Amino acid sequence: MSRPDVDALLAAFRAELAAATTPEAVDEVRRLHAGKKSPLKEALRALRDVPEAERPSVAAAVNAAQQTVEAELDAARARLDAEVLAARLDAEWVDLSLPGVATPRGARHPVTRTERVCMDVMRQLGFELVDGPEVEDAFHNFDALNIPEHHPARDMQDTFWVDGGLLLRSHTTTVQARVLEARPPLPIKVVSMGRVYRNEAVDATHLAMFHQFEGIWVDRGLTFSHLKGTLAFVARALFGQDRKVRFKPKFYPYTEPSVGVDVSCGVCGGSGCEACHGAGWVTILGAGMIHPKVFAQFGYDPDEVSGIAFGLGTTRMMAQSTGVTRIRSLYEPDLRTLQRLDRGA
Amino acid sequence: MRLSLDLLRRHVDLPADPAAVRSLLDACGLEVKRIDPAAAGVPVTLELLANRGDHHCLTGIARELSGHTGATVRWPEVTPLTAGDGPHPVHLHTDLCPVYTLTRLVRRGDGALAPEALAVLDGTGLKSVGPVVDATNVAYKELGQPTHAFDAATIEGPITVRLSRPGEQAWPLFQEAKVTVPEGTIVIADDVKVLAIAGVIGCEESKTTAATTTVLLESAAFDPVAVRKAARALGLATDSSARFERGADFSQPLQGAGRVATLLAAAGWEVDGPTGVAGGWTDPRRVVRMVPERCRRFLDVTTSDDELVARLARYGFVCTPEADGALAVRVPPHRLWDVVYPADLYEEVVKSIGYEHTPRGLPPVDMGALPTPVESVSDTVADVLVGAGFYEVVTDGFYSRALRDQLGFGPGHPLHAHVETANALDRAYSLLKNNALAQAVEGVALNVRMKHDAIKAFEFTRTFHPDPTASNGVCSERRLVWALCAGPERPATWAGPARPADVWFLKGLVDEIAHALDLPLQVGPADAAQPLSSALHPGRQATVCLDGRVVGILGEVHPEVVARFKLKRIRPCYLELGLVDLCADARPPAFSEPPRVPPVVRNLAFTLPPKVAAGDVADALQAAGPAWLRSVEVVDLFEHVEDGVPMRTFTYALTYANDDGDRTAEAMNGATEALIAVVDAAFGPAGVKLR
Repeated sequence: MSRPDVDALLAAFRAELAAATTPEAVDEVRRLHAGKKSPLKEALRALRDVPEAERPSVAAAVNAAQQTVEAELDAARARLDAEVLAARLDAEWVDLSLPGVATPRGARHPVTRTERVCMDVMRQLGFELVDGPEVEDAFHNFDALNIPEHHPARDMQDTFWVDGGLLLRSHTTTVQARVLEARPPLPIKVVSMGRVYRNEAVDATHLAMFHQFEGIWVDRGLTFSHLKGTLAFVARALFGQDRKVRFKPKFYPYTEPSVGVDVSCGVCGGSGCEACHGAGWVTILGAGMIHPKVFAQFGYDPDEVSGIAFGLGTTRMMAQSTGVTRIRSLYEPDLRTLQRLDRGA
Repeated sequence: MRLSLDLLRRHVDLPADPAAVRSLLDACGLEVKRIDPAAAGVPVTLELLANRGDHHCLTGIARELSGHTGATVRWPEVTPLTAGDGPHPVHLHTDLCPVYTLTRLVRRGDGALAPEALAVLDGTGLKSVGPVVDATNVAYKELGQPTHAFDAATIEGPITVRLSRPGEQAWPLFQEAKVTVPEGTIVIADDVKVLAIAGVIGCEESKTTAATTTVLLESAAFDPVAVRKAARALGLATDSSARFERGADFSQPLQGAGRVATLLAAAGWEVDGPTGVAGGWTDPRRVVRMVPERCRRFLDVTTSDDELVARLARYGFVCTPEADGALAVRVPPHRLWDVVYPADLYEEVVKSIGYEHTPRGLPPVDMGALPTPVESVSDTVADVLVGAGFYEVVTDGFYSRALRDQLGFGPGHPLHAHVETANALDRAYSLLKNNALAQAVEGVALNVRMKHDAIKAFEFTRTFHPDPTASNGVCSERRLVWALCAGPERPATWAGPARPADVWFLKGLVDEIAHALDLPLQVGPADAAQPLSSALHPGRQATVCLDGRVVGILGEVHPEVVARFKLKRIRPCYLELGLVDLCADARPPAFSEPPRVPPVVRNLAFTLPPKVAAGDVADALQAAGPAWLRSVEVVDLFEHVEDGVPMRTFTYALTYANDDGDRTAEAMNGATEALIAVVDAAFGPAGVKLR
């Protein structure tokens, strides 16, 4: 057996590898020059025919040639893989200046979002949401809340009367009356929210139906101080921790004392501007200690039990937070307005 | 109420800075709506508390401020009047007038009111019309006691304070003609005519003029409710009625008349003889018992008993200590209408101290609260809808008869009857809505008008249904969520054509809502008994069921309804679900490990003639298949025409479980062949065939 011509084998391999311009062609060269039937593999199998004295040097030469072939094949494959990948990536460029195609999300109504913010705050204090009917009777809407017939306070709430001498609730305080009437165990910590109705001439800024949010906390030992502390917590949670809060006397038939809660104007910071009519303050809440007559109406002893009541107009709060002045447009299914609020113009 | 700080300063000391005065007024519950520090006199507009009639005058406001600041109130000069035989016979025939006084004034010269009096008119937004009327107006603005002057020459016979008779007429000032006075209204009348609607307004036929030389000056007190009813019935809201409606100070009539006399004296008028007084009102001397310690605890303050007494005195309350430490607090006449309970006195105390100057503290707070089931369900449903591109909207709780008729619900239809409003100012609010579809389709029309035709809207609302068995005897309320889509579900883009928002899209939403709620909601056959069914396309509607019970409906809006809304080339589709119905116990799917071996899918294509439901074929395949037939799904639709008949060829993907990898192809092929036979047997007569 003659000694294999390793140099010639390598030369032939290199000539074919040089001609391989694709990864698949390299794989074919690999099959021919590094596969089981390749000349180098044949040379290894033929070593037994080589004279023993020459066998180590021949084996070393063939092994070295094999390693060279493998290395050059790997290098060529890597180079061509990279070229192919680069070409593919270049070819796969897409124009991402085009708009996306996912289905755009819609949005909850701004009033709902406002209600959820309020609920989130009240839940921290342990308040539960209670629902009540919108078609009410005069007792729960007025009389039980210390608003007797022909009282001027009824002027504040022009009423929609409906069949059967019933009415559309003019405030969510009706739920307060129904909760107290049910006499649940103390403490009572509930909020109600939803639609209320006023029989008013409607225009862009006045609605016959809008939304309110209201809460009561009834227990033994609640004080005016607790009222103020709770309201300050709620006001800052809703409007921002940096807002100043002030309290002023108000009149609500179902609370005594009654309180109006102002926060410093979010536009001017309290220095006075057009938005706050120069006051530096914006009224956000009506509140008070539940009136002893209301307690007595439902069998509570006002000397034993006291309560905090508060409410706000979620529609108004929504208008303040969104900057929408023509709120009527938000009480129609006008999707343009809602989309603008959600996604901008 | 309009006034000026210059006028107010006549009666009480105020800070020099208008901004400080504004804060002071706000702190006293006299909310400043407008102030113009740069204008002469510094005009101010106040929003008064609805229950405080005593605030309707300068001295009333001054008294409220003095309660907070401790400043002294300066009262205007009042001519003392002598009660005696009146200048004119007066008959008091109703208890609704507790006191009625009549003073005669005679003109002795032709002067004018003093400039400082006329300044009151100017500062409170009134115009000068003549000395007599001006004097009554000024006195009212100063003291809050309404008075009215009759021209004595026009009075025929005695003056009677009585209730009006059926059909009786009067000619109120500034009205073009006589009006009929509601029966039972308090009127001031002579033998011939009505001289005034008591507490509301005088009448043309007895008014004073420039020629008047003698007036009979009325100063009285009237029942608040009676005045309120009269003013509302006649549509006449006056300063006088506003004052009497809130409860007048029954001790003030002589003071008011005396102030008018003082003002008119400057114009050459004199009181002629004693003032006649009719009526027997006396101060009831109401006493409210207040325990100082309870007051301190209620307000969380340490104010001493003496200070409490002093602060209450500023508002006119007189305190007498009792043996047990309580205070017997006598209510002044001007506060008899609103101070009844100890809490009313606590309010006086805290106003005097200042709402800003008592402590704040949170009571102990226990655990937070969880959302209610309706809240949770609403949020979950909303998440699905918002994720699918829907916007939540809010519509009114009522609508007009015209809108109701748009749905074609004539007499006899279950949704024809509505709960009706009795006094709506606007016809748009005649009926409480008993369905949400009308406003939903109206919303489509609104958006289409605005060239916005990709419509996806939903709302959580409630409907009202006449129901004599309801707890209120009139109606029940149903909470629901509706969703409406119209136009493209996905708009056409550079990447592909639009896909219409149709009933299948809504059906898919029902599936997603069911998944999100973990409830087995199923879209079932249409049910003509559903109230909304007739407003939906008869061939494109379905019910939504939960455990076999109908909880909702979906469908394309009936073309006739669409046409009534003048909509063209748009096919709105509507979904409605009962909200309370969805508050059922969630049934999440049981988890099982995914198989190691993927399932095997065989496709079958069947051609279906019209009116054969693809779902029925799928159900039959699923029911007849072996236990290891995991699912049957429609994966393709090919629409074509055979012999002039529109046909649909559906491809059903049959997914066979092969969890252990030992199910043979022969077994699956055999099962598939058996299913073909099942369909052929069940639906072949109806024209279904394997394609």
